[in-house]
Amino acid sequence: MIRRDLAVIALLAALFGVLVLAPGLFEPLLAQLNAPGQPALYDRDTLLNLALWHFATAAAAASIALAVGLALGIAVTRPGNEEFLPLARALSNAAQAFPPVAILAIAVPLVGFGFEPTFIALLAYGLLPVFEYSVGGIRTIPAQVLEAARGTGMSPGQVLAEIELPLAAPVILAGVRVTAAFSIGTATLGSTVGAKGLGEVIVAGLQTSNLAFIVGGGLIVALLAILVDHGLATIGRMLPAARAVAAA
Amino acid sequence: MIEVEGLSKRFGEVLAVDDVSFSVAEGEVLALVGTSGSGKSTTLRLVNRLIEPTSGVVRLRGAETREMPPEKLRREMGYVIQSVGLFPHWTVAENIAVLPRLLGWEKTRIAGRVDELLRLLALDPAEFGGKYPRQLSGGQQQRVGVARALAGEPSVLLMDEPFGALDPVTRARLQDEFAAIQRERGITAIVVTHDLDEAFKLGHRVALMDRGRLLQIGTPESLIRSPSEWMVRQFVGPEERALRILSLHRVADHLAPAEPGRWRMDGRHAFDAVADKPIGRVEHRDTLREALSAMVWNGTDLLPVVRDGEVIGQISAAAIQAVGRRG
Ligand SMILES: Nc1ncnc2c1ncn2[C@@H]1O[C@H](COP(=O)(O)OP(=O)(O)OP(=O)(O)O)[C@@H](O)[C@H]1O
Ligand SMILES: [Mg+2]
Repeated sequence: MIRRDLAVIALLAALFGVLVLAPGLFEPLLAQLNAPGQPALYDRDTLLNLALWHFATAAAAASIALAVGLALGIAVTRPGNEEFLPLARALSNAAQAFPPVAILAIAVPLVGFGFEPTFIALLAYGLLPVFEYSVGGIRTIPAQVLEAARGTGMSPGQVLAEIELPLAAPVILAGVRVTAAFSIGTATLGSTVGAKGLGEVIVAGLQTSNLAFIVGGGLIVALLAILVDHGLATIGRMLPAARAVAAA
Repeated sequence: MIEVEGLSKRFGEVLAVDDVSFSVAEGEVLALVGTSGSGKSTTLRLVNRLIEPTSGVVRLRGAETREMPPEKLRREMGYVIQSVGLFPHWTVAENIAVLPRLLGWEKTRIAGRVDELLRLLALDPAEFGGKYPRQLSGGQQQRVGVARALAGEPSVLLMDEPFGALDPVTRARLQDEFAAIQRERGITAIVVTHDLDEAFKLGHRVALMDRGRLLQIGTPESLIRSPSEWMVRQFVGPEERALRILSLHRVADHLAPAEPGRWRMDGRHAFDAVADKPIGRVEHRDTLREALSAMVWNGTDLLPVVRDGEVIGQISAAAIQAVGRRG
């Protein structure tokens, strides 16, 4: 099972690597989409460089979203903190109520062009899934499991680290997948405010009616998203809680 | 020793535990019996401070438990939770090992302890150690729950219906195992059960609860001989009293010396030289109730008592009647 997952990932990674490192191989194919004489390959930057920037931007936003969303989720599920749950929900819902484009438009005057506004938009939008999935994952742990953990003599910290987080991990990871897929797709928009990323190729394609740029750029972004999603799903299947389910 | 004094717990409108006081001596087993919702589980949770009382105190060896760090208190008190509550992401072995691991035992000592407990609870370590809780039957899960509570060698055990989901044979076997460990280690225990027979078998004393109140507490025999009206209504038909008393006594404590030359063993069977025919027999560990049953079955009022395949005495119907008779 896991071996098959790893094989699929290796295949996707290889395909992605070829696309990014040797796009020339696909030039004849992409050129079919364009008028004769129009360039089929983007040449203002290497695809490798753009893909790395794209991935780094999305990964940075998703990681911080995970850290903040999970911390919030843990905080509001501690006994005595229940009354903060509606407030935290309202905040993360509000953050997601603004479409990313709107956040970009607001952020640019405040922090300037480039990576920063993109990062802020992705973070604000990606927070909600991680937060909601964290709360959901922690709250669905059966009460008797928690009672047994406390009854055994675990401290609150040990209950969290040994019982709650491992049992909620598959659900939290599902939230991370939502956020990651969203971040990789939406990081494309960053190119409109000058962030480095694969969006550059697509934007250039739109500006010059270059279908090969649009299709090629879109393909690489989609492949990156699928690759990351598969990677996260595989990690999910290796979690102890998932292994216990699979064994039964 | 555990002392509970004036303990009450209110959940909103419900007074789940209402001014309960009792004490359990060092090495004693108190069986807590009562109808559903009478406050038994709540009482246990108050003892290990999973919940805090509305009023009243609990003392462990003279010290008030509310002065102790709750984690430290609970590590001394093995707790078998009513709904079992195994950790679903850990194997059976990991579930049992949890407290020893928290206590920092060495790996080999933990592994040895896990094997020992699995065997004690009639689970083959090789077969079950690596399984996950989902892969076990209800009764198997329950046994792992008991093993987990015993793992840290606690001085106190709180058991909430520990054998409820077991078939009668396994249940009887585990009751015996529990009684043996408890005696050997001098464990002080409170055992919650719905089953009066189990309460009488395991409890040195039995406490009856109803709607949060402690109605009656005493030795099994004293409860049977002078039951409260409530207990008669709930549990014991009056016509069963004598048999219940008999089941509290062992043949070994009431046998007479064997008539010289009367009994001999033919392999596993006893032979009555006077009647010149094979005869039934009782084991010295059997209860008087079992002995009486054997007499009725064999159509006799005298049976040989056997220990390790040797006749060590005899028991008469008259001796049995003397024990079960109204006081
Ligand atoms: N956490 C809680 N919140 C509110 N009410 C509770 C809580 N725990 C117990 N109760 C109530 O307190 C009463 C006693 O419950 P408890 O669990 O102690 O009964 P019990 O004797 O163990 O019953 P059973 O034999 O069914 O296990 C019940 O009326 C129950 O509804
Ligand atoms: Mg109960």
